[in-house]
Amino acid sequence: MIIPLLKGLATTLKHCFSKPITLQYPEVKRPVYPRFRGHPELVINDDGSRRCVACTLCKVVCPSKAIKVIEPAEGEHHEKYPVQFIIDLTRCIFCGFCQEACPKGAIKLNNLYELAQYDKSILVYDINKLTQETSQIRMPDWL
Amino acid sequence: MVNLTIDGRAIQAKKGQTILEVARDNGIYIPYLCYHKALKPIASCRICVVEVKPGPPRPQPACSTYVTEGMEVVTTSERLDVIRRELVKLVLINHALDCPICDKGGECELQNLTHALGIDRVDYEAQVLTPHIDYESSLIERHPDRCVTCGRCIRICRDRVGAMAIHFMNRGYYTELGSGVLPLDCEFCGSCIEICPVGALINKVFKYQARAWELEKTETVCPFCGGGCTYQVQTRDGRILRVANQDSILLCGRGRFGFPVVHSEDRLTTPLIKENGSFRPASWGEALDLVAQRFQEIMAEAGPGAIYGVGSPRATNESNYLFQKFFREVLKTNNLDNPGRYHFVRGMAGLMAVFGVSQVDGLAAPAARVPAYHSPYEVTEGATGSGLMFVLGKLADLPQADVALVVGADVTTELPPLGWALMKARENENFQLIVANPRATKFDRYAALSLQYKPGAERLLMGGLFKAIFAAQPDIAPVINAAGLEEFKESFKKFSLKEYATKAGVDEGQLKTAAELLLKAQAPAIIFGTELLGQDKGQENATALADLFLLVGKPGNPGSGVYMAAEKANTLGLLVVGVLPDRLPGFIPIDKDPGLNLEQMLEALETGHDNAPQALYALGGDLVRWLPNRSRTEKLLKKLKFIVVQDAFLTDTAKLADVILPVAIHVEQEGTFFSSDSKLGLLRKALPENGVRPDWQIIMELANRLGGAFKYVKPAQIFQELAAQLPVCAGLAPGHCFPAPGLTAKLSGQFVPFEQDISLPGRRPYTLIVGKSLQHSGSYTTHQPCGTLMVTPGARLKMNPEDAVALNLGAGETAKIISSHGEITASVSLDADLPPGVVLLPDHFGEPAANRLTLNSNLVRVTIQKM
Repeated sequence: MIIPLLKGLATTLKHCFSKPITLQYPEVKRPVYPRFRGHPELVINDDGSRRCVACTLCKVVCPSKAIKVIEPAEGEHHEKYPVQFIIDLTRCIFCGFCQEACPKGAIKLNNLYELAQYDKSILVYDINKLTQETSQIRMPDWL
Repeated sequence: MVNLTIDGRAIQAKKGQTILEVARDNGIYIPYLCYHKALKPIASCRICVVEVKPGPPRPQPACSTYVTEGMEVVTTSERLDVIRRELVKLVLINHALDCPICDKGGECELQNLTHALGIDRVDYEAQVLTPHIDYESSLIERHPDRCVTCGRCIRICRDRVGAMAIHFMNRGYYTELGSGVLPLDCEFCGSCIEICPVGALINKVFKYQARAWELEKTETVCPFCGGGCTYQVQTRDGRILRVANQDSILLCGRGRFGFPVVHSEDRLTTPLIKENGSFRPASWGEALDLVAQRFQEIMAEAGPGAIYGVGSPRATNESNYLFQKFFREVLKTNNLDNPGRYHFVRGMAGLMAVFGVSQVDGLAAPAARVPAYHSPYEVTEGATGSGLMFVLGKLADLPQADVALVVGADVTTELPPLGWALMKARENENFQLIVANPRATKFDRYAALSLQYKPGAERLLMGGLFKAIFAAQPDIAPVINAAGLEEFKESFKKFSLKEYATKAGVDEGQLKTAAELLLKAQAPAIIFGTELLGQDKGQENATALADLFLLVGKPGNPGSGVYMAAEKANTLGLLVVGVLPDRLPGFIPIDKDPGLNLEQMLEALETGHDNAPQALYALGGDLVRWLPNRSRTEKLLKKLKFIVVQDAFLTDTAKLADVILPVAIHVEQEGTFFSSDSKLGLLRKALPENGVRPDWQIIMELANRLGGAFKYVKPAQIFQELAAQLPVCAGLAPGHCFPAPGLTAKLSGQFVPFEQDISLPGRRPYTLIVGKSLQHSGSYTTHQPCGTLMVTPGARLKMNPEDAVALNLGAGETAKIISSHGEITASVSLDADLPPGVVLLPDHFGEPAANRLTLNSNLVRVTIQKM
């Protein structure tokens, strides 16, 4: 009769000494799985240049019309690159179609997921905000 | 008709159609790469192969196999699929995988083909070639690594445009496109870009600007010559990014690369009022109030005739119609004219003297309701027409002509579509071209006979031609009723044929050959343009050519006609809608109190006659820039008390104005143009106005301030009112010409003798022809960032290299050109097309202003000195 009760108490006691599951968010952030689809990010090459060639396929495929503006320009060596790239994160549904459509692997969804802001306009990302200084992509070469 | 089956479907087709055309017309897809509807098939890609029974046991190219009775065609089978896939794979071996940055991506025929044939990999390997990508040209970029060697660009350039800029270089796997080993013969029309199925030729003006699917497309009319080409304006976010003609592909350089003028920094955006010698921006209300007030003051003082109006060949029919209505109904004066007075009106006057004014009789009452921009008059049985409109050639018919005589015109420069029509006519093996011009022009290379006469000797040349015709066939009788032939023959008694030939500077035998060719012709066409009509005796020139057409022309045979090239889009429209001092809309003459024409008005100003105007209302019409003898025009315009100019740019005339009203240009408004062959072109609005207003709105507001009651909401309403006054345009609809095909022609003519003299007085050693440049249309295309400025950034004095040596001048050096009326300086370019003693200066640019040298003609004798 008493044995099941003791078993239960033992389980409870065991948890008293184990690490708690609750995280001290926002001081501590929960790590996500490598294939998690977070914010879109413009990928940069080792030399610091963006991979994007402003082909606008992501803009075409985007089902929620979150990709607003892609402004192309011609570089010194006749290369095509974006001078402006605007994504409205309030519209983004994190479907990952853009990274699937991109022929250059230039746009990827990283592992950032926070979207709470006092002002919506903060969530309209321009080309600089879309490029992270240190990439937040866990698996850069996945897809 | 031919009966055949395609994929088991019974189909009726016209004889002479190819399998591909029949399949396309019936919605059956046959893939192809080297074929294009605007070109003749060459069957080189073999992707369009189909199985044909009865026929050889191997597949046949659909693009070049004509349909026959009882033919059975199979367009899809396993064998055909394998062949097509292999062929496309071979094309793809070395194809650059540039699609993300290639401007053709999204509208690429190779992309579509690869997708349609389901090719996901290319299992061939070959030597990798280093592409020679050519970034040199400022308008056209070449990417040999994207080329599929279909030869479309070569064919459109050679067969349609008539230039020879592109050739296949090397052979086999190493084939690529280049200018050959010849000097580049390019007109910078960009037709090769448009016809390229892939992105091997790239439009640099459009490069990287947008992807094909992002563009909004609006069909409108090109404003850069009187040819009336319809083209598609492709815009995004209120900016034009490129233009295209998707039917014939052909556009000229100004058409294709000239559109950026719409977005020029030089555009006027607000009304300007002159105060103490300088302009200040004003509101529309203030500017219009001022104009109305000043007009009222001047009219109260000196009567309504004191205000003179100049219409604009850049403005729509609706605006010009309203302009003349404003003058006639509100101001109550006939004092208005148009700048065509100095060329096109002369031509029309010459034709009118010989063939009579255009008229239509026997029409039913106008219909009350018709679709927008359609004539309310229906061409019913029994309706007859007469007059010059029946001899005015239609560009669409020109390819059916068998002899074309070009006099004093550099065809492609004056009217590019006329050049394309001549190229098309050349496909007819019986076609013969006679080119008469003081200098060598592009079409000399295609001419059966080139007559290089002395500048200004056109009428002596014509005299010689008449003499030769009368000698070859003394009993010649025109095909239509013509009066005065005997007296006309008498007028050539003065000289013998030999004398005519010597005076005109041509060979007697050449005149005889030309006469023979014209006499043999079943559908002769006579072509001339602004350069001939711009002479002081332009009207006499036109009369001579009209007489010639009356004598040898075959009106009624398709292609036979008189083709007059107009430099500006709506030059003919101005005449049709009555921006003339002596004619109402529809060419109806005014018997009572006709106004002064432009020449008379300037004379009245010069003499200070009491009928001289005191104010000028110019709708565009840059008189200072375009009239000969610039200093006189400037001096006379300064005598006016008040000038209002309505223009999109600060033109030289606008600088003299007291008030400038900025107007919308072609893509910013709706309306219609009449091309120089009387085709009605419909302009559609593709861009917002951004502060400027269409001409008709400005005229309406002004009229209402001066007591008029104009209540138009849209241009279609104005057209409706206008069309009701134009029985000559019965049956007219957008894209159609008048007279309507169903109209019975009652054509008669009257031979009118013309003056047989050389109109080039003076003793100076060189003859200057004030001409045109291929890349420019008026001064319109001279505003940055117009694409054609990259090819022709300024005017250069063209002269024969021998002359340059004699004057110790080299290419690019500056020469001083002196006439008895003024002097200018211009940089020199050498051109062997010009005979020694003749120099040419285009007049599009403000500097050097060729009309500082001229008196009353576009020809002038000059002295040239090295600076």
